[in-house]
Amino acid sequence: MSGAVLFASADALLVVAVILPLFAVPVLFLAPSRIAERATVVVLGLSLLVALAIAGGVGRSGAAAASFIGGWRPPLGVGLRADGFSAFMLVMTAAVLLATGLFAMTTPGRSRAGGERMPPAFWMLLASVFSALNLVFLAEDLFTLYVALELLTFAAVPLVCLEGKLAQVEAALRYLLFALFGSLLYLLGVVVIYGLYGTLDIILVAREATASPGFVLALALMTAGMMAKAALFPLHLWLPPAHSGAPPAASALLSAVVIKAPIFLLVRFWLDLAPSTLAVAVAPMLAGLGAAAIVVCSLVALAQPRLKLLIAYSTAAQIGYLFLMFPLAAASSPWSALAWTGGALHLASHAFSKAAMFMAAGLIAEALGHDRIAGLSGVGRVVPVSLFAFGLGGLSLMGLPPAGGFVAKVMLLSAAVHLGAWWIAAVILLGGLLAGGYVLKVVVLALQRPAEPLVAQPVAHWREWVALALALVAVGFGFVPLEPSHFLFIGRPASWAGMVP
Amino acid sequence: MAGLSASDLMLLAAVLVPLVLALAAIKPFVRRRVDVLLLVAPLPGLLAAVAVPLGQSVLVVPSPFRLTFALDLPGAVLLGGAALLWLAAGAYAVCYLRSDPARGAFSVWWLLTLAGSFAVFLVADVASFYLAYALVSFSAFGLATHDDTVAARRAGRVYLALTVFGEALLIAAFVMLAASVTEPNPLIRDAVAGLPASPWRGAILALLLVGFGMKMGLFPLHVWMPLAHAVAPVPGSAVLSGIVVKAGLIGLIRFLPAGTPWFDWGAGLLAAGLFTAFYGVAIGLTQRHPKRVLAYSTVSQMGVVAAVLGVGLKTGDATVPVLAAFYGFNHMLLKGAMFLTVGVAAACPRRRLVPVLVVAAVLGLSLAGLPFTGGALAKFAVKEPVGDGLAGLLLALSAVGTTVLMARYVLLLADVGAGATATGGSVAPGLRVPWAVLSAAAVGLPFALFTAVTGTSLALLFSLDTLIKGLWPVALGLGVAALIYQKPPKFVEVPAGDILVAAAPLARLYQHVRDGAVLLDTLLRRWSTAALALVLLALVLGYVMAGVAFPPHSAP
Repeated sequence: MSGAVLFASADALLVVAVILPLFAVPVLFLAPSRIAERATVVVLGLSLLVALAIAGGVGRSGAAAASFIGGWRPPLGVGLRADGFSAFMLVMTAAVLLATGLFAMTTPGRSRAGGERMPPAFWMLLASVFSALNLVFLAEDLFTLYVALELLTFAAVPLVCLEGKLAQVEAALRYLLFALFGSLLYLLGVVVIYGLYGTLDIILVAREATASPGFVLALALMTAGMMAKAALFPLHLWLPPAHSGAPPAASALLSAVVIKAPIFLLVRFWLDLAPSTLAVAVAPMLAGLGAAAIVVCSLVALAQPRLKLLIAYSTAAQIGYLFLMFPLAAASSPWSALAWTGGALHLASHAFSKAAMFMAAGLIAEALGHDRIAGLSGVGRVVPVSLFAFGLGGLSLMGLPPAGGFVAKVMLLSAAVHLGAWWIAAVILLGGLLAGGYVLKVVVLALQRPAEPLVAQPVAHWREWVALALALVAVGFGFVPLEPSHFLFIGRPASWAGMVP
Repeated sequence: MAGLSASDLMLLAAVLVPLVLALAAIKPFVRRRVDVLLLVAPLPGLLAAVAVPLGQSVLVVPSPFRLTFALDLPGAVLLGGAALLWLAAGAYAVCYLRSDPARGAFSVWWLLTLAGSFAVFLVADVASFYLAYALVSFSAFGLATHDDTVAARRAGRVYLALTVFGEALLIAAFVMLAASVTEPNPLIRDAVAGLPASPWRGAILALLLVGFGMKMGLFPLHVWMPLAHAVAPVPGSAVLSGIVVKAGLIGLIRFLPAGTPWFDWGAGLLAAGLFTAFYGVAIGLTQRHPKRVLAYSTVSQMGVVAAVLGVGLKTGDATVPVLAAFYGFNHMLLKGAMFLTVGVAAACPRRRLVPVLVVAAVLGLSLAGLPFTGGALAKFAVKEPVGDGLAGLLLALSAVGTTVLMARYVLLLADVGAGATATGGSVAPGLRVPWAVLSAAAVGLPFALFTAVTGTSLALLFSLDTLIKGLWPVALGLGVAALIYQKPPKFVEVPAGDILVAAAPLARLYQHVRDGAVLLDTLLRRWSTAALALVLLALVLGYVMAGVAFPPHSAP
């Protein structure tokens, strides 16, 4: 695990992945805004390359990459570690953020049609969110994770109220306060763990952990905290106003990747940290809440009068699928690997499709001047590429082939059927039906002939194509084979004995 | 991919060429050439059906994807029929939509539906079948709702709702079916081979029958069919009623286990099919528009096919699927031609109407199985496995019903023609020629296929016994039709979609559930509730874990 030669191995790149996005910040302070924007996008592009290099390294070596700050190993030092799942999240995040940057930047060659340029603050927040997310995916230490989560919250909340409208500020405050509750619970749990074991390194704690009262308490607190941050039903009060009120680029980023950070950590806690007896006991409860999220939030999405709210409720519903995965993945059966792969695939295809849908919705709103669903009749004629992106993203949500959501759904269904979890299979199918309802409702309206000719502002084609590219990536996930992914299992618990000093 | 033979390429081209054309139609200058698009697209499919040897199979992408194309006899029969109808209806559409500004969009839906319909007949692995099935189902929405009227929008909504529902049922069935095989994406054949031993065979069969039955329009899942088939532009109706419903047929042919008797399920399918056969006739007779009559006739005819497949399932007779496909082929061309006839009659000057009506009558009688027509061959082919018992009698009686229904169709057609305001000398050749060619093919082509499909000689058809068996239902039907014509009973037109009115309580229930969810959501999004919920969640999590970690001491 030598990280001596910089840029020589995936190990060394872990630190780079966390720091690199922040390099954009000084440029944003110093350079004129147009140049600064471009520079930020370049940094985002470089970060994607770093993420790909890490993933490549992890894939080639077949083992997790690790880096210890200052060469100090836990329990003294703090470690960064990328297993297959982390590397997967890094690449996904980098790709979505690069697309967000391309979407938000001033159109090359001309001034941005129908709107003014994004303020420098947006780009700084984007870079900070990126760095924080990478730290969440890589940190191996519970306190570093706390810092990363706080950084993420404080960078994400202002994105909601960038335009400074009253409703946005209200939504941002709601988001901030609830996220802080979550952090507080998490921090309490961390304190308890430190008191019990004298270390916060996940691997070391996992080795020591038994189902003691203190550990149970800590897990309960940390899990509840993450649920609040993940907006899992019934704790979703902050999500719809925050995700629907933000500017489209910010909505895309929040709904696609930011919401996935706490879910990533829940997976860490329950599949890596907690003893499996506890995981098996709690998993049905997580899945129950996930099922309630899918059913209730999808129904509420169907009743929404505005497009962005519909998409936001769809996010609240779709994260339910990731919780449905827990009982399937926690069961010790060969099918767990398939469920787990399906969950990860769902996470990624949702990220890409949801980002595409929020961007498309933003363009539709820009073209029409509103996003009332009742007034969308015939909008397909005005912004066909955007509508296509929305439809392709929706295809993935509905779980129809050839989209990524389809493969994920089939994997989860197969595992549910084999493990006899019929109610989970039923919820997956019902969720697909409801998603079909709210996606097709919009698409069908948009394909109709409008009653009166639509008056529309032109939108930048550049940005429509960014949305479409994201949707096409979501569809591209439909071409992964229907079997457990080896990459996602690199460095997972079974093989991490060698990682501990 | 190296070493593809000419046959392999033909199989691939059947699906890929229409898809590539659909993609190319993004460019406006391609989209403007509707004539080229619609006429070229079905040709590779036709070629594949005729020139590729049966049993040919090509692994397009190897395991774990296992995308496989294969041509078997039922697939070839349906593919050939579909290609012919796509070609004729496409030629017809070029003229029919000449002055429609949205014909470019229509042709994109057309190409996508066409590609999907060819693919369902050709693909041999489960995942590709699901993809092809979804493609043909969802693209057909664009054909049905092209006119964008209030009725078309309603039909589109009903169709989409049932389609999404059907997809959910089928994916559940496919996942359970594939569970018996270790391959990630098995061939349909291998997956179905595991069905008899599957612990969930009952559930799988039920899901397959309901899912595919919906596409075929089995009662009570037929409600979308009269709505969608009647509102589409004429060539669109022809392919919807002729070809798209056959996706359900090929589904049952491919996924029902052939050669294993399943008495109860077979009897159930037989009963459902026969009931649908009569139900379609009964409701169809009350209709006042020829297109709706034809749509209900399709419901009835698909009931007959389902009944035949039910017999095959009941007895485990492995020859039945091919015969059902042959019946489907016959229906495909006849129904397509009859829909085109509606458009021709509407464009026909009054004095030239009689020949059109004669052709319509011949097509109708062929559908009813009049001897010396192609339809008689189809009826004869399916009569063999059904036998002479009660089921056979009911099948013959359904032909009586079909005759009456077709008489109704011809009479309504005469009204359409009489009401038409067409001026000028004759119907445009662009409509007339494809219609005439298709009509001739519909009545004649079954003769060419009969021996290949059934393995019996054509001479058998001309025995006196067979002729009488074929003739009496038609004669009886004509008699009944004449009686009804003499003294017309006061038919109340049943609104298209008939029992859909019964779905109103369901719609209300959905409204209530949705409103309830919205109310619950409003309540949960209050600060007080959410904060309480967060604390409660933490407590419950702790409690659940404590229950496992520290089980209460039980008494010894």
